[in-house]
Amino acid sequence: MNTAMQTQAAKRWLDYTIIAVIAVLAIGMLLPFLWLFSVSFKPVSEAYKLPPTFWPTSLDLSNYAAVLASRVPFLQIYGNSLLIAVVVTVGQMITCTLAAFAFARLEFRGRDTLFVILLIGLMFPAQVTILPIYLGYAQVGLINQPIGLGLMYLTSSFGVFLMRQFMLSQPKALEEAALMDGAGYLKIFWRISLPQLRPALSALGIITFTQTWNYYFQARVLLGRETSMTLPVAMDVLRGYLGSGSLSLVMAAMSMSILPVVLLFLVAQKFVIEGITMSGIKN
Amino acid sequence: MSVAQSKTEPRLFTSPFMGEPGGAVSISRVESGNTVTTASMSAARKPSDLRRTQARTGYLFVLPTSVLYLTFVLAPVVLTVILSFAYYDPMLGSRWVGFENFQRFFTDRRSLEILWNTLRFTFFAVSFNVSIGLILALALNRAMPGWLLYFFRLAFFLPVIIAAAFVSIVWSYFFGDDLGVINYFLRLVGLPAVRWLTDASTAMTSIIIMDVWKNTGFFMIIFIAALQGVPKNIMEAAVMDGTPAWRQFFRITLPYISPVVFFCIVYASIGALQVYESIVILTQGGPGDATRSLSILIVEQGFGSFQIGYAAAISVVMTVIILIITAIQQLLSRKWVQR
Repeated sequence: MNTAMQTQAAKRWLDYTIIAVIAVLAIGMLLPFLWLFSVSFKPVSEAYKLPPTFWPTSLDLSNYAAVLASRVPFLQIYGNSLLIAVVVTVGQMITCTLAAFAFARLEFRGRDTLFVILLIGLMFPAQVTILPIYLGYAQVGLINQPIGLGLMYLTSSFGVFLMRQFMLSQPKALEEAALMDGAGYLKIFWRISLPQLRPALSALGIITFTQTWNYYFQARVLLGRETSMTLPVAMDVLRGYLGSGSLSLVMAAMSMSILPVVLLFLVAQKFVIEGITMSGIKN
Repeated sequence: MSVAQSKTEPRLFTSPFMGEPGGAVSISRVESGNTVTTASMSAARKPSDLRRTQARTGYLFVLPTSVLYLTFVLAPVVLTVILSFAYYDPMLGSRWVGFENFQRFFTDRRSLEILWNTLRFTFFAVSFNVSIGLILALALNRAMPGWLLYFFRLAFFLPVIIAAAFVSIVWSYFFGDDLGVINYFLRLVGLPAVRWLTDASTAMTSIIIMDVWKNTGFFMIIFIAALQGVPKNIMEAAVMDGTPAWRQFFRITLPYISPVVFFCIVYASIGALQVYESIVILTQGGPGDATRSLSILIVEQGFGSFQIGYAAAISVVMTVIILIITAIQQLLSRKWVQR
């Protein structure tokens, strides 16, 4: 009994120690972000000053204003990023959900073969599709058109897979009952399946938005012109333009660029993590 | 794997919706291969009609995805493979060159160095990302207040969701020689400054460090969920028997989560082989070619020098490596994994 209590106490101390170590690491993980925000509020002349600071000393927004007033079309670039991310997110929520409903709930010839072919898509990197897409886009005038990047990602194997997994985990008694009552499949999809899918749709929406917001390789190849750029590519250009002396301006631009994704994540951490684990674990 | 599962699912019955895996509920309805349920009879619909509508709806629903997938994935992949056997020049005329592009890739010292860089990066990035992610998950897999867990998940997952292009710019200042943040702290504790990005022998290590900082949280999250699936009673029994913790891990936990470990290794490898923006921003592939990756070479050859055929061949090589890794994973997981 005594030894059992001793091991209990020892175990609790071990727990505390581990949590303390993780806490230090977690703060370490956040340092690059803290530094970024801190520098974005500093006067340009102090940006490089050492020791580095990880907490903003003032909330001076003049660097933010300077970015918006600079000759880099920052707002337009921001708009491009938003346009592409919204189009892709909405597009995938529609196409992937429709396909997933068919794969999870309907019987038709070739269904499983089609699904396997679709899953193979998970293995093809953007590098192996970009050359023909570039050549094709050059033919139809979609190079340097932000919407061109959006078109490429209106559906995704991952999205179909995620939604299908979720649908398979849901009971279908309600859907079957509606069918027996004579409801059409379209109505069943819209009225019964879709409302049940809300958590999975949120997960898909957030993951897709974030992923699209962050595309670099494809964006750099297809959207080279300054007015058609997206934020990740523009940030590198901005760094050169605003010059190495204006570190604070680059960090102000970056703070604004990561804002939507950070907000989305703070609000909906649960959905993102559920979505990722659902697709990762059940794979 | 779900693909295998859906393929081997017994199709003993035809239900308006496909049955539950195992189909125990629906089997009772099967009568000489047709669905005969009182409910569907009362709806006054013939089962064959229903099946036809069902198939039509199915095709309609997969149509948008199929068309887009064909246009933006399958067709481009096939075209890339075709291009890899050609010298492509729309102005002066293209011609077939057989395996010349591949031969060039595998005999050129520079491209071989770049291939080696990419494989080296992949090996270390994957090893550290997955193992550190697992260690973090094991550390977090204990009782703690909810807000603390929320904070930890936030801290470790935030780098995952921010574009590599953004954080690489921040890290380029952290890795600076004289004004760098890391060197400042090294000097502070009396250690020599490190030329993180400007020395050919350390540049790749620096990129791997940033990559692990950025991606390990993803694997941590997946492992946390996997660990929660390890049956509690087995663990408790092991604790009662006085099994040492390391042994519990290797005998119970690891075998149990091994499918997830395999998934993570493959997922991480596919990502790491494509490494691009972190290197472009941190070192531009330098010093020399010390950190240049296959993706950088593809862009440089395809869109810089317009060696389209050669660039296509390089991307085919990259894809084949990914296919091999995935195939190995499939084979291994079928052999070893105990579910």
